[in-house]
Amino acid sequence: MHDIAITLERVTKRYAGHTAVHALDLMIPRGSVFGLLGPNGAGKSTTIRMIMNILVPDEGRIVLFGGEPASRDLSARIGYLPEERGLYRKMQVLEQLVFLGEVKGISRRRSRELAEQWLARLGLSDWAARRVEDLSKGMQQKVQFIGALLHEPELVVLDEPFSGLDPVNSQVMKDVVVEMARQGRTVLFSTHIMEQAERMCDRVAIIARGEKLVDGKLAEVKRGSGDVHVALAFHRNREAAARVLADRALVARTDDYGASAEVTLAPQANGDALLQALVGAGVGISRFEVVEPSLQSIFIAKVGADALTAIASEVNGA
Amino acid sequence: MHKVLAVIRREFVERVRTRAFLLSTLLFPALMIGMTVLPVLLDRRAQAPKRVAVLDGATGEAGSRVADALAAARRNGGSGGARYAVTRVLAGDNPERRRDSLVRQVGLRGESDGLDGVLVLTDDAVASGKIPYYGVNVGSPQDMRRLETEVQTALRLERLRRAGIDPFVALPALRAIDLEPQKVSDGAVTGESGSASFLLAYTMSFLLYLALLLYGNQVMTSVVEEKSSRISEVLMGSLRPFQLLLGKVLGVGAVGLVQLAVWAGTAMALTRFRVQLAGLFGVAPDALRTMPIPEVSPGLLAVFLLFFVLGFLFFASMYAAVGSTCSTVQETQQAALPVTMTIAVGLILMFSLFGEPNGKLARLLSLLPPFAPFMTPVRHALVHLSAFEIAVSALLLAAGVVAVAWLAGQIYRTGILMHGRRASLREVWRYAVLKTMRRWRRLTPVIWRRWPRSWAMCC
Repeated sequence: MHDIAITLERVTKRYAGHTAVHALDLMIPRGSVFGLLGPNGAGKSTTIRMIMNILVPDEGRIVLFGGEPASRDLSARIGYLPEERGLYRKMQVLEQLVFLGEVKGISRRRSRELAEQWLARLGLSDWAARRVEDLSKGMQQKVQFIGALLHEPELVVLDEPFSGLDPVNSQVMKDVVVEMARQGRTVLFSTHIMEQAERMCDRVAIIARGEKLVDGKLAEVKRGSGDVHVALAFHRNREAAARVLADRALVARTDDYGASAEVTLAPQANGDALLQALVGAGVGISRFEVVEPSLQSIFIAKVGADALTAIASEVNGA
Repeated sequence: MHKVLAVIRREFVERVRTRAFLLSTLLFPALMIGMTVLPVLLDRRAQAPKRVAVLDGATGEAGSRVADALAAARRNGGSGGARYAVTRVLAGDNPERRRDSLVRQVGLRGESDGLDGVLVLTDDAVASGKIPYYGVNVGSPQDMRRLETEVQTALRLERLRRAGIDPFVALPALRAIDLEPQKVSDGAVTGESGSASFLLAYTMSFLLYLALLLYGNQVMTSVVEEKSSRISEVLMGSLRPFQLLLGKVLGVGAVGLVQLAVWAGTAMALTRFRVQLAGLFGVAPDALRTMPIPEVSPGLLAVFLLFFVLGFLFFASMYAAVGSTCSTVQETQQAALPVTMTIAVGLILMFSLFGEPNGKLARLLSLLPPFAPFMTPVRHALVHLSAFEIAVSALLLAAGVVAVAWLAGQIYRTGILMHGRRASLREVWRYAVLKTMRRWRRLTPVIWRRWPRSWAMCC
């Protein structure tokens, strides 16, 4: 048994005029939940499409399960949910799932069994004989999810699995992914929602403009950032607090949530100085804690604030 | 292979289940039955004898013979009721006035003195053969031809008598002849009648044309729908573009075959069971006009089917490739123009070369894959090509199919991931052709070494 599920070696993909992915190295161990993080246009989808052999890299090598065959010949072992996903609108739900199972390379009968189990599990049994177009959007998303996973693959590749999901479905999908990880399957998913990645992944890689910025176990990535992070909450005199936090001698970066904030201290400053300054300014402090940095703040530190605004506008727009 | 079968089955089952398929499959046979039976039924309704007055201004028995001949005419080849109700009117002293008063009666309905037409016989007319007829039904070529035949036969007898010849001696000598063409190829009689193979060639190439336009377009639409419903990338995760393309072309092709088989079967059944069918509607069997089913040699039929299938694969792959470069069904109509034009040109060239099926141009076109599906079977039906010539044409076409399917697969894999805009020709060329050629150059040694496996991977 090989313990590396996916290896990328100096993979490069160029499009007319720009490089989407540049000399990317990645190693995804078997049984890990791997988050591929990055702003829009970072090359996440291109990377995933190359892993799925939908795109062919211009340079470099991609190895799945330590072996030679391309992913399509291994489709029975891989579940893939692309960012652009859809269903045959006129087809019945069950038949559609049976078909999707079949093209992955499992038998028709087995595919039917699995599809029925999954529909029951996600509470869609009553809809099995209905056409896809009769389903609500949320139900269609569940069906898409089942379509990618019903053949119980050992490697699950999900491109932005949680984008566009309502909170209830988001929860359902998260449970499914966690369950798969618990069974020892490898999960690779891309996202730009950091909270999700923080809670689910044991490994992350952050890429931007086609290049890898950070890569490793989540805990190591957090420790490796080296900055001191302080979580704050105020109950009084927030304006004064804002003035103190604007002091670049003390604070390098602020992630302000209004009533609370997460700040990254300036390299030469320490927590005591910040606490003193805040107390001195008459701010009512209800929380002051030196914490591990959140993935969000690491992401922003690495990728830059301009990328953050792009993401914020997209999240609000979606 | 299992995956391709799954695509074929999905494409077939989903299509056959639609109401549109059911309607179009059943509507055509219903139309055929209607077209066969309706004219007869309508004709029967108009079976009241035509009231014809013969204004007899000729000397001798000419008038009475014509009147008798008309009165004796029967419908349905002699078995039906009288075709004409004839009144013979003597012209008397003033034939013009007599004629005018008769003409005034023409067209009067339901009255006892109404007429449908007036036939004017004079000695001049009998001699010159120009017989005036005033009637309401002069617009019907069928009616006029029948009347002409009856009058002609009667007057021939009368003319013979006037010339002092016994008509019963002369008539057999006057019997019309029918040319019976027999097709000869390589010095042997094939047993097919010339008109039958011509008709078959004509029908088959038209069927191919129809099938290409109908089902080729369906392949294209189906590709675009997959793109616009965003399922194509889901499928790309497990299927090679070529597998998807192959499954689609074969699946839609199978649907087309079923539909064509139902239609052809109906046509055959109509001819075969026309006696029963006639009984069902209570009309004489001979009156049913059915499509003639030509006698075809199995060899000719095999050639037809071979070129039909290859032709379909050739053009349907092209349609699929075109579909993959478009995002909406509207776009495809314009993008598919080159393909549709090629098909139309093939059909037109085939028609224009009917006269010279063994000319230089015809021979050349048989060797070009886009035109071979039309040219070769038709030429074979007309002049009987040698096995060698057919084989060369079929092999070239098959090579064309492989090349087009490969190219289509390349365009498909590029086009299918592009949304929102049409892939330009340059992009298609760059991605599909140049890139793959580069990859091929790298892969060629590998492919030779592992030929069997690479072949298996394609399916």
